[in-house]
Amino acid sequence: MHIPDGYLSPSTCAAFYLLAGSGWYAALKRIKQLLATRAIPLISVFAAFSFVVMMFNVPLPGGTTGHAVGIGVAAIVLGPWGSILAISIAIAIQALFFGDGGITTLGANCFNMAIVGSLTAYAVYRMVAANSNLNSRRRVLAAAVAGYVAINASALITAVELGIQPMLFHDAGGTPLYAPYSLHVAIPAMMIGHLTFAGLAEAVISAGMVSYLQRADVALLRGVSGLAHAPVPVIAGASADRSSGRLWWAVALLLLFTPIGILAAGTAWGEWSSADLMNPHTREQIGAASGNHVLPASVPVGIQKLSALWTAPFPGYAPRFVKNPLFGYLLSAMFGVGFLVLAPLFARVIARKRAMRSIGS
Amino acid sequence: MSRHSFLKSTVRGFAQAVSKALQSEHATTQKGLLQQLDPRVRVIGVFALVVSVILCRRLEAIAAIFLIAIALAVASRVRLGLLAKRVWLVVLGFSGVIALPALFLTPGEPLFTAPALHLSISMQGVRTAAFLILRVETAATLTTVLVLSTAWTHILKALRSLHLPAEVVTMLAMTHRYLFLLIETANQMFESRQSRAVGIVSGSAQRKMTARTAGVLLSKSIELSHEVYLAMLSRGFRGEVRLLTDFRLRPRDYVALTAFVFTSCMAAWIGR
Amino acid sequence: MPSTFAVQDISFSYEAIPAIRGLTLCIEEGDRVALLGANGSGKSTLLRILDALYFPSAGSVTFKGDALTHEHLQQEEFSLSFRRRVALVFQNPDVQLFNPTVFDEVAYGPLQMQWSKEDVVRRVDETLSFMSISHLRERPPYRLSGGEKKRVALASVLVLNPDVLLLDEPTATLDPKSQSQVVDLIQQWKGTAKTVITATHQLEIVEDIADRVFVLEAGTVMAEGSPSEILSNSDLLLRANLIHAHRHSHGGVMHSHPHSHGHSQHEHEH
Repeated sequence: MHIPDGYLSPSTCAAFYLLAGSGWYAALKRIKQLLATRAIPLISVFAAFSFVVMMFNVPLPGGTTGHAVGIGVAAIVLGPWGSILAISIAIAIQALFFGDGGITTLGANCFNMAIVGSLTAYAVYRMVAANSNLNSRRRVLAAAVAGYVAINASALITAVELGIQPMLFHDAGGTPLYAPYSLHVAIPAMMIGHLTFAGLAEAVISAGMVSYLQRADVALLRGVSGLAHAPVPVIAGASADRSSGRLWWAVALLLLFTPIGILAAGTAWGEWSSADLMNPHTREQIGAASGNHVLPASVPVGIQKLSALWTAPFPGYAPRFVKNPLFGYLLSAMFGVGFLVLAPLFARVIARKRAMRSIGS
Repeated sequence: MSRHSFLKSTVRGFAQAVSKALQSEHATTQKGLLQQLDPRVRVIGVFALVVSVILCRRLEAIAAIFLIAIALAVASRVRLGLLAKRVWLVVLGFSGVIALPALFLTPGEPLFTAPALHLSISMQGVRTAAFLILRVETAATLTTVLVLSTAWTHILKALRSLHLPAEVVTMLAMTHRYLFLLIETANQMFESRQSRAVGIVSGSAQRKMTARTAGVLLSKSIELSHEVYLAMLSRGFRGEVRLLTDFRLRPRDYVALTAFVFTSCMAAWIGR
Repeated sequence: MPSTFAVQDISFSYEAIPAIRGLTLCIEEGDRVALLGANGSGKSTLLRILDALYFPSAGSVTFKGDALTHEHLQQEEFSLSFRRRVALVFQNPDVQLFNPTVFDEVAYGPLQMQWSKEDVVRRVDETLSFMSISHLRERPPYRLSGGEKKRVALASVLVLNPDVLLLDEPTATLDPKSQSQVVDLIQQWKGTAKTVITATHQLEIVEDIADRVFVLEAGTVMAEGSPSEILSNSDLLLRANLIHAHRHSHGGVMHSHPHSHGHSQHEHEH
């Protein structure tokens, strides 16, 4: 999921450095309050651990393997702030020491994986696990869901960053200058791999590790405060819920930006549907937007094929707008957001029902 | 493919990371152009060039920076074969494959149409693929030349004297230091498991084993961090990070810095 | 003059597991002391309490008359002077070597003491050449051998010229040559004002490194005496799990005799 140098425009890089920078600042401040002088060795060694876990080949159902990022475990053991720092440091070592990843895109990479990933993982874990016992199966489920959702939230944000590049940054001839694919290509291309392999690998590692820690080292599951030998944070439920609620809002807002940005842009550049290209009026518009370049008289077959991919699940009598790739994009964005919000809620409802049943019996 | 190939490929990954690190360490001891400059100048210079790579909007300008990067590599005695293996082929294999569909998917003037397949390559598609590959290759070459010519501790100290917070620099240093210890620990666990894993057939048992290994490593890491903390306290650590940086800029450093910044600005201006 | 360390009836536990129970001992300036005990006897924990890294839950510890409490160590002036005068060498050198290079490692203590840059560099170079490791100056710790790591760990505390040296199993896991180098170093301090307290389970080095021995068992002092007194008392050593009755047969006759395992060490995972 690392974006290398060259895929993002300078302004995108700068914006994400700014975003990531404020995240780092807040995290550093919080973690110093929480851990005082212990922060440095703990975060450092944990970052090294995350780096090593990223190198693990995780066997997946079906005989393939995948790589995990370890966001789920980092967020569960260190809490969101420590996790932001540890994953960011691991990404920075990859970029600065191994030369893998990218320097200009470091801000964006840290934002996607470390910040969005950690906040999502933590919020989902707290929601699904709720006040369940540290040894309960529910915590294992919560870890799996947290890892899976977090990695997909990161992937979605990454795809959006890549997907807005051709729309915003192209030369007079209509050549995209950075990442070449618009949202309706970038999002499915990115999400298919993450909804399957990467998400599964993350879920497997998160769940497996929590289940291991439950048996071997349960103190680590108490979160950052547990490392200071404090009691289980069940009594702190009220305040913890409020803070995880705040995190939820942050995540929700981040995701909301995605569709709003596109709607505001109207017929965004690079978002033409096949129908647009055939329609003489919009053809004029596109031509003007592309520096009066003569557009091909026929739709490039690629786009047509791609929109077929989108509309495939919809029957022939579906309304016309369904055929529009922009709709496809919105659909996937909504799917992403919806999944993010609904999955933990759903898990919560199930867990509550199960609790009711056990009380009843 | 063997049933335990996931263990083998993880162990191979560890070995690759370590050999990459040793390669870099060996390369940094060469006496070349970049090695003679103050590390701060190297870091700023390479960063400036990378930024100019992403600022450029003309292929020729990016190609010119690519040539400069190669010249820097040669002058700093970085073997081109190593660059080809570590950067050029890897980038081509990754970004090249990513850029390929852009030839067909980017709307624009058709350049070539394959009659049977109903696929056409657009002018814009060719250009956007060229932009992507050239940019990624150039930026990655520059970063790798920096990594191969500058000792890690010097990069850290350069970042510190460029006002990165001392805590962050310390965390980067300490992460890097314990990375190799943890790689070694994980490696030993995987290798011993490789021999013991013969009987493990089911996928779920394999997954359990991998997660367990990660879990053991986590417990050890937390324990290690606790011990390191005590060792720091024992030697007077009180939360304040104190580092020693003793770089001095010499005339040639100023010349080099000016050259770097001038080249980057020129490239960005020509390529605007 | 107050004792270097006066330890009065202290207890300490990890979470709920007791490690030290009602331990009392006294160590004077210039003493060379061995804390002899099997794994889990509490000797490492005691060293950490003497280094004011852990604080006992009951009882008291004083260093030259000053109480070693968490509150007292919060005061910058006392903390810096205590840390400069008392040094602990950890058993695992990887824990102690947390800096990117050997030079940075040895410079760490002086930098925390806020010495001037010139003093730091001069003193570090002196220490490196004293320990004959100047050639390792720019080496990262992951490229050092076990013996080299131990020497760097020693250099990193000797650089401050401490009055009290606490050594946790300094010769365990070392090859014989590095072992004797470390023992030689400790012997050099004989007759100086330096106090050296060594925790070990290796009986064969005790006479070289100590004039007084405390035998620890289950978190408390089981016996105290001169090395020859302690080492000749095989009944005591047997009870402290430092030797064990080793049964085997000679020509069909079963017999048992005490047997020491100087180099025993083991690793395990959960």
